[in-house]
Amino acid sequence: MKFAKLAVIGAALTLAVGACGGATSGAPTAIKIAIELPLQGSEKAASDPIIKGIRLALKQAGGAAGGYTITIPDSAIFDDALASSGAHDPQTGANNMTKIVSDETYMAVIGPLNSSVAKAQIPISNASGLTQCSPANTNPDLTKGDPAKAIRTKPNNYVRVVTTDDIQGPAAALYIYSTLGKKSVYIIDDTETFGKGVADAFEKAFTGAGGKVVKHDGAPKTTQDYVSIMTAAKALNPESIYFGGVTATGGARILLAAAQVGLGDVPFVGPDGINDGSGATKDSYLNLAGAKAANSFSTLAGPGTFDGKAKFDADYKTEYGIDATGYAGQGFACAQIILDAIGRAGAAKPGSYAALKEEVRKATIDTSHTYKTIVGDVTFDANGDTSQLIVSIYSFDPAGADAKGDWKFDTQVDAAKK
Amino acid sequence: MTVTVSTGSSSSSLARGLRVTGMAVAAVLVYLIVLWRCLLLAGELTAGNSLAGALFSALTRYDEVGNAFLAQALQQTVNALSIGSIYALIALGYTMVYGIIELINFAHGDIFMIGAFLSVVFTGGIFGQHEGVHNIPFLAFLLLGALLFAMPLVGLINVTIERLVYRPLRHAPRLAPLITAIGVSFILQNIVLIIAGSGDRTAAQVFPLDWQIPFGGASISVLSIFIFALSLGLMLALQNFIRRSRMGRAMRATAQDQSAASLMGVDLNQTIALTFLLGGMLAGAAGVAWGLRFGFVKFDLGFNSGLKAFTAAVLGGIGNISGAVLGGFIIGFIENFASALGYSRWSEFLVFMVLTFVLVFKPSGILGQLTGDRA
Repeated sequence: MKFAKLAVIGAALTLAVGACGGATSGAPTAIKIAIELPLQGSEKAASDPIIKGIRLALKQAGGAAGGYTITIPDSAIFDDALASSGAHDPQTGANNMTKIVSDETYMAVIGPLNSSVAKAQIPISNASGLTQCSPANTNPDLTKGDPAKAIRTKPNNYVRVVTTDDIQGPAAALYIYSTLGKKSVYIIDDTETFGKGVADAFEKAFTGAGGKVVKHDGAPKTTQDYVSIMTAAKALNPESIYFGGVTATGGARILLAAAQVGLGDVPFVGPDGINDGSGATKDSYLNLAGAKAANSFSTLAGPGTFDGKAKFDADYKTEYGIDATGYAGQGFACAQIILDAIGRAGAAKPGSYAALKEEVRKATIDTSHTYKTIVGDVTFDANGDTSQLIVSIYSFDPAGADAKGDWKFDTQVDAAKK
Repeated sequence: MTVTVSTGSSSSSLARGLRVTGMAVAAVLVYLIVLWRCLLLAGELTAGNSLAGALFSALTRYDEVGNAFLAQALQQTVNALSIGSIYALIALGYTMVYGIIELINFAHGDIFMIGAFLSVVFTGGIFGQHEGVHNIPFLAFLLLGALLFAMPLVGLINVTIERLVYRPLRHAPRLAPLITAIGVSFILQNIVLIIAGSGDRTAAQVFPLDWQIPFGGASISVLSIFIFALSLGLMLALQNFIRRSRMGRAMRATAQDQSAASLMGVDLNQTIALTFLLGGMLAGAAGVAWGLRFGFVKFDLGFNSGLKAFTAAVLGGIGNISGAVLGGFIIGFIENFASALGYSRWSEFLVFMVLTFVLVFKPSGILGQLTGDRA
């Protein structure tokens, strides 16, 4: 009896060891890509199109690259938002990254959405050498100068397909000043890393262009009374309003207050943080603003139109039954870049997951390689920033999304062509 | 709760009422004038004048330019009264509960949030209104309906919470109900989170926002005046109820000494439940006002508003009803002052700095409350 028990335990152990061994030994054939985005609360509206874009790219590539089978199982999609706050949380993002790097079958991670989360994650992904591609981070400090060095201990592993806020803010400033012809602006930011950063870059460019900043105020997302703030703004008679922040930190609330005090006819311009879906998308800026969004404009830190746009939109619509919005194209592009890198890394036939992971990282950040992505040709500089210095401007289209209102691509500004 | 030794003579209470009204009006006027001159000062500084010159002009200038700022200051004063009355209504719930059972009911902010949601359910959900209603009888019906729908329901929720959660802990060490209140706060937030989701929800602003009284170059929002008048009416009703009714007397007695009150035949459970009911109803009214004013509700709304209202209650002297009202308005004015001058990012800093100063020099709050060994 005792012997039988021991035999069973022994057999089980053998099997277990065998199973583990099977996963690690020999050249890898099946690998995974992780996705890390906020999936609850108001930012879900911005994350959903990105995930759909990524999945579409993987599907069109046949779920394979470089001779490897590549999957994104549901367990590979990580959520950095907290139910209790309904918004992204850097600590949760860091915990997710720790989980991702502990599974060696992940060759890359796409995400996160928010720069503050990226700041917490890069030290972890960098130490492990895991390739990270963000479809939406725009804070310059993630890649440039000393702040970027401070969060890296090893060679770079992080690239992004959107340009930075020091390009995005000024693009909006020039649009308001030159295209809309508004010579004065009231700026309000949400006092957070992203919001204040982009608003400061905006202010500098607007003043530089000759415009007048009547006031640059800040209201943290805990602000109760936006009406008083907008009453003060109204007294300064601005010709336009720029909001630095995201929907979750007050975008639509400020617009509602502005409309209430009689600033409803003044152009209200915001960064990609308010370009988070149509009026039909739950919790999006346009959904909350309703008809009051009539004079709203937003920017995206990437191209809004590109050569394959019509086909991409059609494919997306066929696959999901809804229009591609926000950073869907950027999610698609990130997936393309990673698949491309895996393809080139696979040529060397690395003998283990760890070796393949390192080859993928090296291939991704290769500054001499030009990626043919859906949003156009992309090369990365030594910091991992994209060569596309393009910001697109969107205006409000009340007829879009079945008359619920949608962002309509207006124009795009290429800072590289100045 | 303030326990005034009432002489019972109506003439003295009338005199007291007049004195308080006079002081309140004077305080608002002082705020108006200070804000007016400060706006002028800020305007002069922005225009590039020297500090000394700007200061001189802020004190002496009474021409058209100076007067242009008066309209703006008046507009902001009305804004301040409006947000201040919302804080005051919530703060009353904190202070009444504290006064009677010495519990800091951290779930009270969330009670307010539920009130705000219920008013949205009434106007937007049941009656399908999304825009300003210009038909006055229908508007009156909607507003009254929202109040009559949200206030009793929220009050009953508050009573139920007291019955289920706080009453069993009434004689437990003081930390137990306190931690439980924080737990209740999370439960309420999460219930609403599950039902309504985590983003902002649009609240129907049925009170027409285009109803403005033109004044100088600015305009005064009628909604702000309505919110202020509504809160004032409720506060006076509460004051009257506590001072004059039999149940109000029972509340005061219970606040003073539970066991003595009990010996005199006051039903403690009933009196405490009544306190929660009244506190909840006022929070419900604040919720209705919130939706009308800001046009959105969110499941975590109660956290920040509750924190501000709690601060208001402490500032005025927790346990003191007049103190809660005073504290609510003071916080409304401080926040408004920062916003009006374009320094919104400093408004919370200012609020808590004032709180700290008051507590350093007068730990019992502005109007004070003898709290004995109370936490």
